[in-house]
Parts: sequence; structure tokens; C-alpha cells
Amino acid sequence: MLAPGAVWLLLLFIAPFGVVILVSFGTVDILGKPVFGWYPENYQQVFDPIFVPVILRSVAFAVATTLLCLVIGYPVAYMIARYGGRFRNLLVVLVILPWFADYLVRIYAWIVILGDEGVVNGVLKALGLHGNPPVVFVNTSFAVVGGLVYDFLPFMILPIYAALERMDPSLIEAGKDLYGTPLQTFRYVTWPATIQGVVAGAVLVGLPAVGDFATAQILGGPNTYMIGNLINDQFTGGGYWPFGAALTIVLMALLSLLMIFYLRSASRPPEAAA
Amino acid sequence: MSERPVVHQSSGTVVHRGRMGTPASVATDVVSRRRPSSRRGFDQPRFLILFTALVFVYLFAPILVVTWFSFNSKRSLQVFGSLSLTWYDQLFHDPAITGSLLASIEVALVTMVVATTIGTLLAFGLVRARSRANRPTDILMLLNLVSPEIVTAIALLLVFSQAGAFLSQFGIQFGFSLVTVILGHITFSIAYVTIIVRGRLAALNREVEEAAQDLGATNTEAVRLVTLPLLWPAIIASGMLVFVMSFDDFVTSFFTTGTGVEPLPMRIYAMIRFGVTPEINAVGTLMMLITVIIVLAALAIFARQQNARQQLAFMAE
Repeated sequence: MLAPGAVWLLLLFIAPFGVVILVSFGTVDILGKPVFGWYPENYQQVFDPIFVPVILRSVAFAVATTLLCLVIGYPVAYMIARYGGRFRNLLVVLVILPWFADYLVRIYAWIVILGDEGVVNGVLKALGLHGNPPVVFVNTSFAVVGGLVYDFLPFMILPIYAALERMDPSLIEAGKDLYGTPLQTFRYVTWPATIQGVVAGAVLVGLPAVGDFATAQILGGPNTYMIGNLINDQFTGGGYWPFGAALTIVLMALLSLLMIFYLRSASRPPEAAA
Repeated sequence: MSERPVVHQSSGTVVHRGRMGTPASVATDVVSRRRPSSRRGFDQPRFLILFTALVFVYLFAPILVVTWFSFNSKRSLQVFGSLSLTWYDQLFHDPAITGSLLASIEVALVTMVVATTIGTLLAFGLVRARSRANRPTDILMLLNLVSPEIVTAIALLLVFSQAGAFLSQFGIQFGFSLVTVILGHITFSIAYVTIIVRGRLAALNREVEEAAQDLGATNTEAVRLVTLPLLWPAIIASGMLVFVMSFDDFVTSFFTTGTGVEPLPMRIYAMIRFGVTPEINAVGTLMMLITVIIVLAALAIFARQQNARQQLAFMAE
């Protein structure tokens, strides 16, 4: 019974990945079709001064997205887990529901709201604000990070919620009975008890954010290029496939490092709540 | 989920001195028992409630704005004329969009059936068969699940183009089309089905199946008559999830689609690149409607299944 699934994944997941590695060391023929070979300079090109900022920017955007999701998501998860009462399940469904709207439409919605011709600028112009348009949103880093936060916020809220729900609420009471201030109780009781949820959320948000390209493609411009956009250019914009394959491998390596970091911290026993 | 009653019970005994309560009364009691002076700051529910409300506005505003403007009679995003179905009318008279909509539904249905079948078999294999291939298969599946979609999509693009070049030597045509899109979608869907179905399968009481066998059922009969009926809700729910993921998928479709009829998200992407047009609001609203109906149905099935499972556990006691 394992066979169909295992064979399918071997043929269409593992083998293709091997092809990416082969192509990343290859070159192209006159028609631009990949030819296998040994051209490690494809990888040298990845670390060319033109492209390094793009990789760094991808990581920076992903880190900013993760932190913003944490700051926004933790209080929401806390509120639902502790004070949600019988509405808990409903609230959790409401958190995830917008995510099921089409991915592109969710990104595009921000152009509708904050674009040059969008709703907010319409209101501001009607109020007599100057500037043309009053709010410049599209093509900024702010727009791309904002879009990424919107894309992935539910994936931060859900694991933190799960961790908070697993936690015994009487621990918080105990912290307070020991005259801990709310901040101390949070710092020494709640946060350590839910750190695994936070780390899981960071992985679920951070990994896809590094590799995302539609958000930067739609909300960003030349100054917000991410590694995903660069890869996309190689494969659909008449670029150089072996370079695109090398970029893909570098991206995968980057994400694997993050993944290993996660697995290590997840396998560590949770910090005892002092 | 299963731990929750225990947590409440303990908070019931600790906080309320042995008084048990429903989750709602526990929560409100916790709130009302807070000492006013020592519980300030971020643990203040009033601040938390306001903050959460704002986040929900943030989560839903974009979707509601898109929906609202899809009914605008005017082309503008700043002036609302009157309620109208103009853009929906245009949509259904645009053969490119209706063709893409049908293509997307077709892709999603095929993906759903194939991925659900393979994924369920895989779940059975992982839970029931104790073979040496279990652990590698498990790892394979988890790797597939955590791999970023752009990486798997590029890998498929390369392998399909290599396969096409290879097969053309024998005069066989294999290019990018809806078939390659379906192959890609099935590849990323299998693991989700397996995880959902495996969770239910592992939670099922093996004894029920053994009881059927004691009553003379063969192994296959026991699975068909006892296990499968208990598993159907999980299988259907995972199938619906796969349908939605396939229907909404952009990245994998983008790199595996051909020049013929494209899935709907490709059409939307082209429209967005071309500029903001009100038709996008209408297509987007339509897609959301389809997706949300399916998701809510899946959730309802899932919730019913949990009840059924609790009843079964009760009966087993």
C-alpha cells in the first residue's frame, strides 16, 4: 500500500530535485535548452555582487515578516486561547478562513485598498490631502512585507494557539500568586511554555516567505526583488536555466539550514518554567 | 483538542475550588476573578479584545473590499456607483475566463480523486503495515511537505521539459499542458491527505476491526465494512482540502502550465499584471465563494466525525 505513494514521490519529487542539481551544474545549447556538464561557475554567479543583495533582501523580508507575524499573532492567539470561551473554535476558523481566499486575490486586494487609484487614496483625496497620490504603497518594501504578513499570519497564530491551549492556565495563576507582575509571569511562565509553538510558527511563516515570489511580483518593484523573482526570471523571462537551477539549490540549502535549526530546537525538551 | 477537557477540569478544580464548568463559564470566571490592581498590561483582556478585533478587521477587510467593489457599477475603486452585476456578466461572456474556470475545476477534481486515493493508501500502509519502508516513506512525505513550493515547482518544470525532450526522440509528444499541472498538484497534495487520514486511522480503535474479524469478517471485509465507514469523513475532508489547494494554486501551476487553456489563477495573474480591472474583483469573489463553501463543508464533516468518534469511544467503554 506504500508503493503508489512512495513511487509517485520518488518519481515526481526526489528525481526532479536530482534533475535540478544536474541542471545547476550544466550549461545550455544554442536553443537555450539545458545540457548537462560541469560548470560550477553557475554557483559563483549566485554570489555575484549584483545578486547578493537580492538574497539578503529575501532573508531580511522573511525575518521582518516573521517578527511582525509574531507581534501581531501572539496576542490574538492568547486572547482566543484564554478568553475565547465557547467561541474558541469559531474564532480559530475565522483566523484561517481568509487564507482560503485565492492567494493572488488576497495580494491584489492590497492594491485595491492602498494602490495609487485605491480606496484609501480616494478617501484622502476627497478629504483634500495633497500629494499625487497621497499614500504611495505599491513598489515599496513596506508593501511587500505587509503583503507577506497578510499571506502567512494564520500560520503564526495557529501553532501558538495550540501551544497556549496545551498549557495549564493555572500556571499563570500560580505565577501571579507568587506576586509576579504580568510581564514577569509572561516572561517566565507563559513564553517558555509556548516557545515551541512560536518556533513552529516562525518556521511555517519564515520558510515560505523566503521563497515567495508572487507577493513581490505584484506589490513590489525593481527595488524589492526577492530570490523567488530572480528564479522566476531565469525560467519564464528567457533567462539562463542553469543559473536559475543554481539559485533554486541555494534557496533550498538556505531553507534546510533554517529547518535543521528548527528540528534541533523542537527536539530539545521545553524549558522548565522555573 | 483531546486534552482540553482535562485542562478545564484542572482549572475548574484549582480556580473554582472543585466547581466544574463549561468552557464559557470557566473563561468568564477567570476574567471576573482577576484582581484589578495586579493584573494590568498586556494581560488586560480589554486591550487584548480590542487588539484581536483590529486584527480580524485586518484579516477580513481586503476580502470584503474586493467583494464589495465587484458589485460596483462603475469602473473606479474610489467611487461607488450603484450595485450591479455588470462585471459578473462580462466574466461569463469572456470565453477565456469561463474556459479557465472549467479547466481549474477539472484539474482540481482529477487531483482530488487521485491524491486522495494514493494518500489514503499511504496512510494505511504507514499505520497498519509494519514494513522496513515505513520510515523512509515517512521522511519522504515530510520532506515533500516542508519543501518550498517554488523549489518543487521548478524541479517539476525541469523534469517535464527533460522528459519532453527525451520522449520526442521516439516521436512521442509530451509538452506542458493541464496534464503536467495535474501531475504537479497531485505531487504536493498526497502528503496532506496522508497526514489527515493517518491521524484518524491511528486514533481509531483497532479492537473494533478485530471484533469484526472475530465475527467472521475477512481482513478486507473488516476494512471495507468497519474501518472505511469510520474513515470516510477524514477522507472526504482531506479530498476537499486538496480540491481547494489545487483550485487556488498559483506557484506550481505557473511553472507547469502550457500555452493552451490555463488554470484560473494564471488568468488572474495576467489580468493583475495588465492592470487593475473590476473583472478581477468579480473573479476573485467567485473563487472565494467556491472555496469557502467547500471549506465550510469540510469543516462540518470534520466536526461531525469528531462527534461520531466520541460516540464510538463511549460505546466502546
